[in-house]
Amino acid sequence: MIEQALPGAEVEVIDESSGDHLRAIVAAPQFEGLSRIEQHKLVKRAVQPRFDDGSIHALSISTAPMGSD
Amino acid sequence: MSEPTLTDKVRELIDENPVLLFMKGTPEAPRCGFSMRTVGVLDQLGVEYAALDVLPALEPLRQATGEIADWRTFPQLYINGELVGGCDIVEEMFDSGELAQLLSIEQPEMAQPSAKQELQQDPQQSPPIQIEP
Repeated sequence: MIEQALPGAEVEVIDESSGDHLRAIVAAPQFEGLSRIEQHKLVKRAVQPRFDDGSIHALSISTAPMGSD
Repeated sequence: MSEPTLTDKVRELIDENPVLLFMKGTPEAPRCGFSMRTVGVLDQLGVEYAALDVLPALEPLRQATGEIADWRTFPQLYINGELVGGCDIVEEMFDSGELAQLLSIEQPEMAQPSAKQELQQDPQQSPPIQIEP
């Protein structure tokens, strides 16, 4: 879901506790120039349906802009 | 004379408290792991902060902070009127020293992972805030 909302992102999702506590580690070009809060909001918006239907209870998020070297 | 809405009251709290934490439970008795970790970071920094337990009015408060800062999950830390973020962001900024900088204080040297913290001195915080929804 995150990859769809943020094309080009590198996403790793880790299940921290039987499926409803997840950790998402996301590096995306869209994050360039955004504050951490804005970056986290983008990820949260992408997975909002899973919060709405109760399949995720908690999500830890780590984000970083995808640098171009 | 119209009644202030919950959103108005929340805005007031954010404006009046330089460091304000919306959390589940209280600093002495956090009711969720993320809230506990956020309290842990603030206590390690030794900064004075106000804490509001959101559990008595969870949905209305989600709506209020959603309107104010476009953020609906807790814990939420506001510093000088601005949303800093939830547990993840607070921990990242603590580790990088940014949080201490934001608060104009010294980064503590022996930073511990934010599990249980010992209260060696009186915790520097205002009494928990109660507001009616």
